[in-house]
Amino acid sequence: MEERLNESPLIRDDETFLRMNLAERLQHILMIVTFTTLVITGLPLLFYEMKIFKSMFAFEKAFYIRGILHRAAAVILVVNIVWHALYTIFTKRGRVNFKEIIPKFKDARDAWEIFWHNVGLTQFLYKKGVFKKFFDRHPYWLFKKEPEFGRYNFIEKFEYLAVAWGSFIMIISGFFMWNVELSLRLFPLWVHDIFVIVHGYEAMLAFLAIIIWHMYNVHLNPEVFPMSKIWLNGKITGHELRTLHPLEYRKILEERRKAAERAYRIKSP
Amino acid sequence: MNATSFVRWFAFLLGLGVCAASFGSTASNDDCLSCHGDKDLKSAQGKSLFLDQEKFKASVHGQAEIGCTDCHADLQKIKDFPHAEKLRPVDCAVCHDKEAARVKMSVHMQPHRAENPIVVTCADCHGTHDIRKKDDAESSVFSINIPDTCDRCHLERVKIKNGNEFIQQYTQSVHYRALEKSGLSLSANCVTCHGGHDVKAAGDPQSRVSRRSIIHTCGRCHVGIEKNYLEGVHGKDYIKSVKDVPVCTDCHSEHGILSPLDLSSRVYATKVAAVCSRCHDDERLARQYGFLTSRLKTYSNSYHGTASKFGETRVANCASCHGFHDIRISSDPKSPINAVNLSKTCGKCHPGAGTNFAKGKVHVVSTKVENKGAYAAKVFYIIVIAALISVFLIFIAADLFHRIRTQWKND
Repeated sequence: MEERLNESPLIRDDETFLRMNLAERLQHILMIVTFTTLVITGLPLLFYEMKIFKSMFAFEKAFYIRGILHRAAAVILVVNIVWHALYTIFTKRGRVNFKEIIPKFKDARDAWEIFWHNVGLTQFLYKKGVFKKFFDRHPYWLFKKEPEFGRYNFIEKFEYLAVAWGSFIMIISGFFMWNVELSLRLFPLWVHDIFVIVHGYEAMLAFLAIIIWHMYNVHLNPEVFPMSKIWLNGKITGHELRTLHPLEYRKILEERRKAAERAYRIKSP
Repeated sequence: MNATSFVRWFAFLLGLGVCAASFGSTASNDDCLSCHGDKDLKSAQGKSLFLDQEKFKASVHGQAEIGCTDCHADLQKIKDFPHAEKLRPVDCAVCHDKEAARVKMSVHMQPHRAENPIVVTCADCHGTHDIRKKDDAESSVFSINIPDTCDRCHLERVKIKNGNEFIQQYTQSVHYRALEKSGLSLSANCVTCHGGHDVKAAGDPQSRVSRRSIIHTCGRCHVGIEKNYLEGVHGKDYIKSVKDVPVCTDCHSEHGILSPLDLSSRVYATKVAAVCSRCHDDERLARQYGFLTSRLKTYSNSYHGTASKFGETRVANCASCHGFHDIRISSDPKSPINAVNLSKTCGKCHPGAGTNFAKGKVHVVSTKVENKGAYAAKVFYIIVIAALISVFLIFIAADLFHRIRTQWKND
């Protein structure tokens, strides 16, 4: 029943496609470096009671250096984001990628469907003969078929959106924490206090999201364990494309089929 | 002849008689030195009985030409030499009666510990034949030499409740450093604070270092600070004899007083909060005296407090905003945290601090009550974080569950 994509002669499984070009990989690497620096130099402030963090700042001027590093990383992050924005606006690839990554209703449905597909509860009930009539009439609720993803699945879209949202919040609140005199010229103290609180909580959210969600999807997930290498070489194989991004695979397949047909027509009029 | 003049005459005649008697019969210093000038003269126990004539001549008594028998008074009557080995102890009170009276009331003459009481005599501090004036740099009681003189007993022989390291802390203190390293003879030594002849146990309410007196004891040198302190909220309660009020030593420690710039000082920038919160985080004291608690917690939660915990000294600590010796309540118009002074106080570190600094609370105990916006942000984030992390974990669990199941089926 389950319709599975099989290897097509037009796209060999060992053929490689470019998933992240050099600019995109550099942006991602800069993101890793700055994010890690920001977490290491920022998170201890939320957990000042913990001995491990205290020992991090045991040497003289440690806290001062922490501040410098934190702000330097923040500046690089902002530059990185500006680069990414310009890249997205002014290159064709950037624009195409951006169009691809915009969340659609399908993504919510994908998440919903893959979850119940993975849980497999309804299929289990069906097998046991519970609600058989209902499932026969509405086979959708069996969630037999895995949803098919395009270039970016709902996980990646969510992460991109989370980074955009998080960066926005962190940059605004961080800017005013950096320039506390300016902040207090513009806002009363209680508003500045909100900046501080939001900066801390958003940091926690971002940190947990990366540690749990992103680390699972690109490292611990058995499909890619120990690590997906796309961020280093930018390459994705035909096989990976077929299994992980079938919609994009189909699109490429369709393009090639048409091209082949055109070539065939030209050859034999 | 009335009674008074009779007494006078009697005294005069008696004096004449004593003079005449001593003129004829008392041994002169030279008589004494004919034996005691011998370096090898020893008692039966082998103790040297030699008297260094030069030292005696340089001493205050030598210079005043006081004779041996003026002090060793029981030798005045003795004619047969060598005299008996055992003499009565010298009684300084004959001349130094005022000092002797004060010593008599001191802890040195009235050791309060029953077992093994140590009685201190004049000679223990001042020496014997080589006594010099206290402003003579060679004197054992010259200010710079005092710590060594006291330490002769107080390092080991005399045990105190706080342990003898407590006394030794003095050698780390800024007072001792001034005395020893800089030779500043005016710096505080043992006697400056504890008193000399009338030294009392620290626990004695009459002691100069008792909680009641310490303010004035320190204030003898630190005059301006005493004045400031007495104007502040602590000083005002001190005047009212409130027993829990902090005195100098509560914040600065006793023997080991250090400069506030010294990393080990109790009032070093990053440590002030710990000192203040000993009382200002104490629920019992807060109830009794009606002040707010959670000062340390709320400070620690702020950027100032967090940075301070990590050793950053430039951020504000308690004293930066509240002042120190003359801390005042916020309603006092002279208080640096009075609303009208806030922009000036905050402006010390945040140039151009305007009135916005006053629009909000600094020690926020509960954002729910004191900063609704911050409270809303907190609640929002806690919900979002909890929800998202749960969703993440549920999705991951479902994914793993599916993978394990298919693997299992395929095997």
